[in-house]
Amino acid sequence: MAEIETRLTNCFATAFPELKAQEIPSVSAGSLASWDSLAGITLISLIEEEFGISISPDDVPDLISFELIADYLRRTQSEGAK
Amino acid sequence: MTMKLAEALKIIQSVPLDAPPLPVALLCGFTPLHLETFLRAQLCNLFPGRAPNVKTGLYGDLVGNLQRVTDVSAAVVVIEWSDLDPRLGLRRLGGWEPSQLHDILGEVNRSCDRLQNATTAAARNIPLVVSFPTLPLPPISFTPLARASEFTLDLRSRVAVVSAELSRVPSVKIVDPQRLDALSSSRHLDVNSDLSSGFPYTLAHASSLAEALSELILNRPLKKGLITDLDDTLWRGILGEVGVKGTSWDLDNHSQIHALYQQLLHSLATAGTLIAVASKNDQSLVEEAFASRELILLATDIFPFEVHWGAKSESVARILDAWNISAADVVCVDDSPMDLAEIKAAHPATECLLFPRENPQAAYELMEKLRDLFGKDKISEEDSLRAASLRANAELQHDKAKVASDAAGDFIRHIDGKLTLSAQKQPLDSRSLELVNKTNQFNLNGRRFQEVEWQNWLNTPDTVLVAASYRDKYGPLGKIAVIAGDLLPSASVNGDSSGKRRLRIRTWVMSCRAFSRLIEYDCVRWLFAKLDVEELEFDFLPTARNTPMQNFLQDVLRAPAEPHCRLSRTQFMQNCPAANHSVEEVA
Repeated sequence: MAEIETRLTNCFATAFPELKAQEIPSVSAGSLASWDSLAGITLISLIEEEFGISISPDDVPDLISFELIADYLRRTQSEGAK
Repeated sequence: MTMKLAEALKIIQSVPLDAPPLPVALLCGFTPLHLETFLRAQLCNLFPGRAPNVKTGLYGDLVGNLQRVTDVSAAVVVIEWSDLDPRLGLRRLGGWEPSQLHDILGEVNRSCDRLQNATTAAARNIPLVVSFPTLPLPPISFTPLARASEFTLDLRSRVAVVSAELSRVPSVKIVDPQRLDALSSSRHLDVNSDLSSGFPYTLAHASSLAEALSELILNRPLKKGLITDLDDTLWRGILGEVGVKGTSWDLDNHSQIHALYQQLLHSLATAGTLIAVASKNDQSLVEEAFASRELILLATDIFPFEVHWGAKSESVARILDAWNISAADVVCVDDSPMDLAEIKAAHPATECLLFPRENPQAAYELMEKLRDLFGKDKISEEDSLRAASLRANAELQHDKAKVASDAAGDFIRHIDGKLTLSAQKQPLDSRSLELVNKTNQFNLNGRRFQEVEWQNWLNTPDTVLVAASYRDKYGPLGKIAVIAGDLLPSASVNGDSSGKRRLRIRTWVMSCRAFSRLIEYDCVRWLFAKLDVEELEFDFLPTARNTPMQNFLQDVLRAPAEPHCRLSRTQFMQNCPAANHSVEEVA
C-alpha cells in the first residue's frame, strides 16, 4: 500500500510542482489555491494514467484531498484483487 | 511515440523561466485541456530554449477564435464534427431523426464555408496548421454501422473538398490523416471526458494529434542529398558476379522493392533532391548497366557517380565536395552495415540508413522515412535546376582550373553571367525565405526566421529585400541570393547628419551553387548604386560554417569581419574586382 502513496505523491508533484514533498500528504482542494477545476481534471487524468484505471465521473467530486484519493485507490485496488 | 501526460507536464515545467516566449494559438471549439498540454510539450521539444505559450480561444466558437487570433508565431486549427454542426457532437441534443439528416448536411455546408473563409483570412497574417475531424461520427445515421450511409459519405466528401481547397492556400498546412493514423492507433474518442469536461480525446490520441500538429509548425531543416549504393540496393544482385543482365528490379524476379526504391529516388531527384552513387564496383560495368538497362532512376538524375574499389567514406567526401554541402545534410543508403559504419566513422553527421534487402516490408518503411526526410512544402523552379546546375558548376570549376589564377577574373567575365535582381517585397516569396533558412556557408549570421516573423519584418516600410537570380553559359541557377536589411535615416549615419543613408544588412545568404562567380561583389555594387547609400553595416556573426562569408568580408574590409562591421562605398570601390556580370533589375 505504501507503493500507492508513492505513486500518488508523484502524480501530485507533477500536477502541483509548487508543492514540497512533505506538504503533499496533507494537501486538499480547500487548502491549495492552485487546485482549481482544471488542475483537478489534470490530476485525475494523471492518476488514471499512472494507475491504468478509469475513474467514474460519479466518484470524481469526492476526490478532493490526497488522503481521500489514497483511500479510493486502496479500495479500488483491493476490490480489483478479489 | 505516444507521450504520457505526466511526461508532457514535466517537459513543460523544465523550461527555464527566462526563455524567450514562442506564442502559438490552439484554435478549437472544444475544451483544449490536455491537447494544449501535449502541444506545448511537443513545442518545447521542437524549439529548445524557447518557452512555448499556447493561447486558446472560446469554447464552441471556432470561427470566432480564427477571426480573433493575433500576435502569435503560428496557429493550429483543430476542427471536429461538432464545429460543423453541434448535433454531430455529444454535448448538444438537437435530434438524430432521419428527417433531420438533410438539415444537418445543409448546416455542415454552411459551416464549411464559414470555416474556409475564416481560415483563408487568418492565413494572410499567420501560418496555420489545420486538422480536420479525427473523431468517429456519432451513431446518427439509420444504417447499420458497417454500412456507410449516403449521409456520412456526403459529410466526409464535403470535408475532403474543404481540406483540399485550403491546402492550396499559402501558409496553410493540412495534417495528413494517414500520418495521424500511423501515430494514433488507439481509440480517439473519450466519452467520459467529453461529457464531464468537454475534452473529447483520449490521452493517447491527444498526444498523437499534438505530435502531428507540431511537426508541421516547425520549419524543419530538410536533408539535401542522398547517396545510394548500387548492388542489392538500387537493384538486386551483385553486378560483378551476375553481370549486367543478371541484375533485376521487377516482380518476376522477386525484386520489385528495388524498382520502388528507384522510383522513389527518381521522384526525389525531380523534386530537387541531389542523388549520388557510391559503389564499390567496376566502373565500366556500371556504365554499361545504366546504358543498356532501362532503370527507373536515370543516369541524368545522378551526380556524381563514385564507382571504384576504394573506401566508401572517400567517395562520400568527394560527393560532399561536389555538392558543396555538409555531411549533416546527407543521407547514405547501403545494404552493407560495414560500409555504413565506415562512412559514419568518417562523417559522423551523415544519416546512414540500411537498405534491408531481404525484407520488403522494412525496405518500404525505409522509403517512407526517406520521403519524410526529404519532404518539402512545395517544389520551386530552383528544385528542377539544382542537379543540372551542380553538374554545370563542376564543368565551370574544371574550366576555371585550366586558366592561371590571376586570369580567373577574366575567365568569370567570359562566362556570360547575367544577374537579375528584384527588390519586390510583395507578394511573399517563399523561395527567399527557404534560402535564408537553409543556407549555411555564405550566410551573414546563421539567423533563421519563422514565416510570420519574416513577413512582419518585410512589412516594415524601411526594410529592403533584394533577391538575386543568375544564369551564365553553363545554365541557369535560379534564385541564388537574398539580402535583407533596414534602410536607416540620414541622421543616424555615424551620428552626424551628412544626409547620406546606410543599409543595415540583417541577413544575407547565397547558395553554394553560385560560389566562385564573384556574384557577391556585383550584389554589393548594385546596393550602393541602386539604394544610394554611402555605407553598409553587416549584422555579422561567425558561425561554425560561414567561412565563405567571413572570407568575403575580410576581402572587402581588409580586416577580419566583426559584428556590426561597416563597409563604405569608397572602401568597397577600392577593394572590389571589376564588374563581372551584366545586371538587370526586374520589377
